[in-house]
Amino acid sequence: MLARLAFRNLWRNTRRTLLTLSAMVVSAALLILALGVFSGMFEDMLASATEQYSGHIVLAQSDYHQRRDLYAHLPLQLVDAEALRATPEVTGRSGRLRGFGLLSSGETSQPVELLGIRADQERRVTRLHRFVSSGTFLDAADEDGIVLGRGLATRLGVAPGDELVFVTQAADGSIGNDLLTVRGIFATGDSRQDNGLALVPLPWLQRLLALDGRIHEVAVRVAEPLRADLLATRLNSQLPDDVTALGWGALLPEMREVIASYDVSRMIFVAILYVATGLGILNTFFMSVMERHREFGILLAQGMRPWAIRRMVLLETLLLGSLALVIGVTLGGLLTLYMQRVGIDLSSQITPITYAGGTILPRLRAVFVLDNFLVPAVTLLLVSLLAGFLPANRAAGLDPVTALREE
Amino acid sequence: MMTFVPRLSLLLFGLVLLGLPLAVGATTDLKQLIRDIEQQYMGVSSQALMQMEVSTSNWQRSLEMESWSLGRDLFLVRIIEPAKERGVATLKRNREVWNYLPKVDRTIKVPPSMMGGSWMGSHITNDDLVKANHIEEDYDLALLEESDRHSLIECLPKPDAPVVWGKIVYLVGKQPRVPRKIDYFDEQMVLVRTMTFEDVRQIGDRIVPLKLSVLPHDKPDEKTVMHYRELVYDIPLEESFFSLRSLTQR
Repeated sequence: MLARLAFRNLWRNTRRTLLTLSAMVVSAALLILALGVFSGMFEDMLASATEQYSGHIVLAQSDYHQRRDLYAHLPLQLVDAEALRATPEVTGRSGRLRGFGLLSSGETSQPVELLGIRADQERRVTRLHRFVSSGTFLDAADEDGIVLGRGLATRLGVAPGDELVFVTQAADGSIGNDLLTVRGIFATGDSRQDNGLALVPLPWLQRLLALDGRIHEVAVRVAEPLRADLLATRLNSQLPDDVTALGWGALLPEMREVIASYDVSRMIFVAILYVATGLGILNTFFMSVMERHREFGILLAQGMRPWAIRRMVLLETLLLGSLALVIGVTLGGLLTLYMQRVGIDLSSQITPITYAGGTILPRLRAVFVLDNFLVPAVTLLLVSLLAGFLPANRAAGLDPVTALREE
Repeated sequence: MMTFVPRLSLLLFGLVLLGLPLAVGATTDLKQLIRDIEQQYMGVSSQALMQMEVSTSNWQRSLEMESWSLGRDLFLVRIIEPAKERGVATLKRNREVWNYLPKVDRTIKVPPSMMGGSWMGSHITNDDLVKANHIEEDYDLALLEESDRHSLIECLPKPDAPVVWGKIVYLVGKQPRVPRKIDYFDEQMVLVRTMTFEDVRQIGDRIVPLKLSVLPHDKPDEKTVMHYRELVYDIPLEESFFSLRSLTQR
């Protein structure tokens, strides 16, 4: 009964209600879209930081991450460790050996980080193979191929098919050197990788470094990147003592701070937008309550309890809020969908920016994250209730005699 | 580095031979002196057979090498043993360092960013090969201390000199006049490594220490010892012997 009354009351001044409704809808929809784009940018960054190079979790000797010590190697069998195979969240794992040395072509040489990988494993962990801009990625049968960053290839003046020499000091002190054939060139947008990273077949690098059957790390991909640190902690209890699993949060502490600051700025964003929206709702309902003093007076005189009046007004705001919520979320969802599918390409205006270990790509693209819908939706309802509370109180607190005399 | 040892020894030995009083000269005289002596030996050549023992915390190895030098800017060294690395060679021409790798039959120029890197896995850097011969050009020299038996010479880099060290201190024996010890300091004046000299012998009319050890202070359990098995001065060598083409031959 009260609900029907409240609903009918809403449409007694259609224009006012529609105006308020549209303000709520637009703010909710835009907020959802903005948060989606925000998340998209953030996802790009996280993906570039983890999925182009390190992986979500890295298993290595405890200080390998800092020191990159050639001698901090582990058995190749670690890739198939029970702890990893038995964890369903682990969706990919790649054993890698890392060597630093000199890559040379003709008269030019460049210092380089060589990552020995098995192509089939690496494809399941990182997305480097998707960034190959010319030539091909390594395949599992490749014996002496190399895929290198574009900046590096440019400096060395090589293209797919060309030969390169790699020289380094092997683990036994000898001078490791051999020929490689360029298979492909990748361009990730992250200058550190494009200018200094190259991938080679794992057995080739093991032989060159005199580290047969050894790897430096296992890079792991997980289903939910944001839970990688928790999973790493869990893995640590199941792994041998000399192996430490580190989530990307520990590998890239700057990235973790970016997320924290993102969460804070998201809340500030929501707060600012909804304070404005809330004031709009407050205004509408105050007006409506003021205009309806006489009506409330009659209701009270007829014996309606003040709490029922308060509840009615609150119901009105809640109804309006819910209506705005449904339309706003739908509209926001559609806008997000558009931005996810199409997006906006900014590459003509800006170049990729590398920040905190991640790369912000020159594009606006949204992603669907449940939080980005829940936070605006719940906040919208709370704000409409809050904004309805003062007018509802006022209506409930009216003296029927005074109210009836007004006009 | 290999040139460096005979060259430095020659330099210091030359000081003795000429009977030039290190103590009396003002700084400018000292520099002039050293420059004169350095240039006096330009064009002098040498050939050597040496053994380099490198020990690190992870491995130990011994290399046998043959080297040739002409003047102070041309230097060639080739590995004889172990067999696996036989023929690996380093050519120094002026301020450039090239490596020849017989396995892949390629010559590689060491880029500037790698000049501080290890030479042939030892505790000697590529920079040592290139810059040791230019100490008196790149550094200001000063006589720090003098006793009956030793002289202590301090070298501080000139403001714009492309140097690696913050300070170098030479301890030079007086009888015979050979280097005993060289301390290398980084820019923070922290002692980074020490080079010591032993096995002083007469080679022709010169007296040189045939054994030199490099001790890095950040890795106390590591060292490189270079021992000259044979050393011959003033052999006939052409400049073309030190070309990139001759590097790849033989």
